[in-house]
Amino acid sequence: MIHEVTWVGAAVKALIALLLVSAVAGFGTYIERKVLAWMQRRPGPAHVGPFGLLQLAADGIKLFTKEDFIPQFSNRLIFSIAPVITAGTAFMALAAVPIFPDFTFPEWIPLLGGVFVPSIASDVNIGILFILAAMAAGLYGPLLAGMSQQNKWGIIGAARTAVQFLSYEVVTGLSLLAPIMLVGSLSLVDFNDHQAAGIGSWLIWQQPLAFVLFLIAGFAETNRTPFDLLEHEAEIVSGFVTEYSGLRWGLFFVGEYANMITIGILASVIFCGGYSDFLFIPGWLMMGLKVSFFFFLMLWVRASWPHIRPDQLMWLSWKVLMPLAVVNVVITGIVMMAIG
Amino acid sequence: MVMIAFYFFAVLITLLFLVTVMSKNVLYAMTSLAAGMVLISGLFFILGADFLGAVQLIVYVGAVMALYSFAMMFFDMSKDVKEKNGSAATVFVLGGAIALMLVVVFSAPVIGQGVSSLYPEAAGATNPQAVGLVLFTKYLVPFEVAAVMLLVAMISGIILAGKKMDASLSTTEEEIPEMTQGGEK
Amino acid sequence: MSLEQFKNRNVGQQQYRMLDLGKTPETSWGKFKQVVSRSLKVELMIGLGVTFGIMIRTLFRGETHTIRYPFEKIPISRRYRAIHEMKRLLESGHYRCIGCGLCEKICISNCIAMDTRYDENQRKEVSEYTINFGRCIFCGYCAEVCPELAIVHGDRYETASQQRASFSLFEDMLTPIDRLKQQKEYPGFGAVSPHADENIKKTPLAY
Repeated sequence: MIHEVTWVGAAVKALIALLLVSAVAGFGTYIERKVLAWMQRRPGPAHVGPFGLLQLAADGIKLFTKEDFIPQFSNRLIFSIAPVITAGTAFMALAAVPIFPDFTFPEWIPLLGGVFVPSIASDVNIGILFILAAMAAGLYGPLLAGMSQQNKWGIIGAARTAVQFLSYEVVTGLSLLAPIMLVGSLSLVDFNDHQAAGIGSWLIWQQPLAFVLFLIAGFAETNRTPFDLLEHEAEIVSGFVTEYSGLRWGLFFVGEYANMITIGILASVIFCGGYSDFLFIPGWLMMGLKVSFFFFLMLWVRASWPHIRPDQLMWLSWKVLMPLAVVNVVITGIVMMAIG
Repeated sequence: MVMIAFYFFAVLITLLFLVTVMSKNVLYAMTSLAAGMVLISGLFFILGADFLGAVQLIVYVGAVMALYSFAMMFFDMSKDVKEKNGSAATVFVLGGAIALMLVVVFSAPVIGQGVSSLYPEAAGATNPQAVGLVLFTKYLVPFEVAAVMLLVAMISGIILAGKKMDASLSTTEEEIPEMTQGGEK
Repeated sequence: MSLEQFKNRNVGQQQYRMLDLGKTPETSWGKFKQVVSRSLKVELMIGLGVTFGIMIRTLFRGETHTIRYPFEKIPISRRYRAIHEMKRLLESGHYRCIGCGLCEKICISNCIAMDTRYDENQRKEVSEYTINFGRCIFCGYCAEVCPELAIVHGDRYETASQQRASFSLFEDMLTPIDRLKQQKEYPGFGAVSPHADENIKKTPLAY
């Protein structure tokens, strides 16, 4: 049964995505601290509220009331725009991301009764490309931030942003190319439907290499630990966020956590079956579980692995991952031709 | 609706590129260039060319990022760039002539007989598929030539940049004996 | 003892074990082999396993290293020298200080200031006694030299305060009179001997 997507449905979905992801992105900071603490034999935030759950509120109050500081010799306009770019593009990417399966509001709800809510706010047929493009544009945030603040750590952070972007972007595209060839579409809904037949049809079994490559590139895209070159405290103070404080600083981190969730959603939709029902578990819960796993994986890796130098990142991306991705694409193509 | 969106984007893009040309601050110029490139993809989306729009985003985000890294190396962000203008008249005449020529070249077919697609759209194909069909049938040769050209450029770039790539900057041979001596003390 | 041994300040047992890391590869082929072997030996995954195990132990067996400081404190060393305390006599409740001035004399940073006078019974009385904690280096000489065990180093190490005077006056350092029963006694020269009550015998003069 094909439902017609009305603008109300799309707006509801956009609202759900926005609220959900911004709430989860905030909550993610709490989860990150807790998980990192457990992995380092600490209890983590424990004093504010039950189990430290209200730590989030305390942080919010701190960020809101902090002095909003713009350095004297910085480029004020660009300095103010940069955090908005990061947060804005992170949420823009969500426009083409399926978060939950589609559903229809029951009739008894006033106003919204009977409205069909699609799984994606805007199911453009170039979904993956759009998401990648939006997330790539998000890297302008750190770049502009680092260049506008007239701080040598900021400049180094900006330079590393450019280096990191030019390194991983090729790997992301090429690693996704093989699954795209298998499915024959760029729309994430098609990806989901392609893997609807159960756990055996997940693309991760057909494309394990592409999955690993995509995860590595995703870690680089979200500046997570093996590749957190842009703001590595031990080397360059805070990199591009050295001069930021208060809400502007907070915007960078909302953007970063939203990106982490987007990468988690992409990995679960493209490789791990998406939002289809699994045994008795409903689709929306399954999606939540998968995204939580990928989110947890990022924290887990952060607690376990050291980070690498920029030259090692470039070496890894250009000399190891990119050839592997190309080989993967070629082999996939040959196998697809052979099977016909 | 479409017209409003078009004019909105058109005005914004023109303004941003004006800033790119006029501004003496590298940071402003680069940022407005990037923003303009991103907004051009909006025009593609309005025309229904989703694929081209996304490609425009991806390609130009990367290209301008590379430009940024050059700007970072060559210019001091806090100072304005002093441009060397020989004579204002020459610049005005040359720039104006080129702009006029471009306008004439691009608007001539529109005014003359109207634009029609040279290649009929395949029925039922989505946007990326349509692009792929055209690329791999009618424009196969230019496409492959461009690909080979890019490959050549990439290889020559690697060769030019990578001559001494394996030499480490931090541990030159003079330093190593000193370091071991220091350790023995 | 030779000079080298004397200058070696590493106190622990030097039983270090060198990790066998192998040679750093020189050629690109060697580097490639190293990457492949490291990837196939899944060394990184072992790291993940370690942290996951620690997380499980922290979560379910409560093995944390955290001391929730304001709520729980680790016992400090018996030799720790914190803010001074002035002691009282256990029976009468009068302060023990006899105003001899030895602590003032021995103080190497000149931070103890005291003044004494004779009271109406012609006994020495401490009229002023302050310790300037801005200067005090907590060397412990004052407690060492005190013949009456009147000044000791206590165990109060949380010395953040709104004003310095809240530690340094004689009355503040003195054991509060209502807490005389809980006054902590320290062994040492001049201290009450452990079984003082049992050892006390009436002198013949009492008969």
